Amino acid sequence: MKVIKISAIWCGACLITNKVWKQLKDKYSFDAIELDYDMDEDEVQKYSPGEILPVFLFYSDNRELGRLVGEVSFDELEKKYLEVNE
Amino acid sequence: MVYLDYSATTPVNDSVIDTYSKVCREFIGNPNSLHSLGIQAKELIDASTKQIANLLNINPNEVIYTSGSSEANNMAIKGVCLKYANRGHHIITTELEHSSVIAPLNYLSSIGYEIDFVKLDDNGQVDLDDLERLIRDDTILVTIASVNSEVGVRQNLSKISEVIRKHPKIFFHSDVTQSIGKEKIDFSLLDLASISCQKFYGMKGIGALIKKEKLIIEPLIHGGKSTTVFRSGTPATPLIASFAKALRLAYDDFNEKYQNVVDIHDYLIDKLKKLDVFINSNDYCLPHIINISLNGIKSEVMLNALDEREIYVSTQTACSTSDYSKAVYSVTHDKDRASRSMRISLSYLTTKEEIDYFIKNFGECIDNLSFRRNL
Repeated sequence: MKVIKISAIWCGACLITNKVWKQLKDKYSFDAIELDYDMDEDEVQKYSPGEILPVFLFYSDNRELGRLVGEVSFDELEKKYLEVNE
Repeated sequence: MVYLDYSATTPVNDSVIDTYSKVCREFIGNPNSLHSLGIQAKELIDASTKQIANLLNINPNEVIYTSGSSEANNMAIKGVCLKYANRGHHIITTELEHSSVIAPLNYLSSIGYEIDFVKLDDNGQVDLDDLERLIRDDTILVTIASVNSEVGVRQNLSKISEVIRKHPKIFFHSDVTQSIGKEKIDFSLLDLASISCQKFYGMKGIGALIKKEKLIIEPLIHGGKSTTVFRSGTPATPLIASFAKALRLAYDDFNEKYQNVVDIHDYLIDKLKKLDVFINSNDYCLPHIINISLNGIKSEVMLNALDEREIYVSTQTACSTSDYSKAVYSVTHDKDRASRSMRISLSYLTTKEEIDYFIKNFGECIDNLSFRRNL
């Protein structure tokens, strides 16, 4: 399982979500990738992130299994993680 | 043309431009140079700094010139947190901060600092009990803007300071960019404060970090000592002199100008109440800022429609990525209203004729856009 987080340094929701992202990484073992919306523009655009940040993309075998957009709680992030892992 | 975006930036006062150009022409020396032209420039900077300090009721040594508030916010937040990392890595802020506060916090978060967001009450003000609850032994900084730029909610810096002062190891920074020149600020409540001249009819490209004299911070820009070791670079004599001029002018007839804004604010609110809009700003807001929500019309569409009529307002800060405004949500608790908000920001220069022109055109735009929506 690979989880990609797309965020921007000036984004408040991304800052708020840093804590729950860390909690997820601490609790589960997965390939965590962090992309910067501005700095990694070319890579980011491959995922069509839209205009709302942060974006969490759940991947397995190069296939997107789901995504979460915007500020999320740990429960929401964990629920999605477990859901796509089933 | 009707300009109602004074919180984004203000037009530069003609006298400030005169000061700037006069100093450019007549004070050509590098203030770090030892010859008489350098000394002359240095003396002008010292006199300007003294004037700024007198107006703000602070010590001249507490003024560090920056390129504006973004640099001052970065300097304060990174400067304190990197310098006092041995004390802890915990920072407290609000969801109402400008991106130039969010960005350094995001940077610090990426290198291991932990950031908590204090709750806001129904009026958008800091919940003091929650602030007290969040404070930990390893908290090193609380950063809370005096006024939110989008809605205009004022924070009670005095009450916040009371809570923080119970914990002597915590520094209190406030981005006072939206307050400076509009309302008097008690800088004794703060360890660090960020200001920008472009908000009070001064030049763009100059601002300051007001820093308590004894407080040491890690500089962002290393170099020679110049005016301060905390921010190296040849001091911009014309900008600094124009800063002092703009601030002095802002403080002339201060109360009268404030009352002008209150009057024009009340006049506009009366007119807005007759239109199909929601008024989001409340009694805790600075009268210079009125945030409203449109009923079923996207704020960007309205902004463009008004722009075509040479009326200039603003929508949610351009560099936000949420589908709704956190600041508007904090006072409305309504995501739909928070996603359709628009800011009208006033000045003592704003006239009733301008408001009448705005209201007439705004009403027409609402009718036109609502009609198109219903087709």
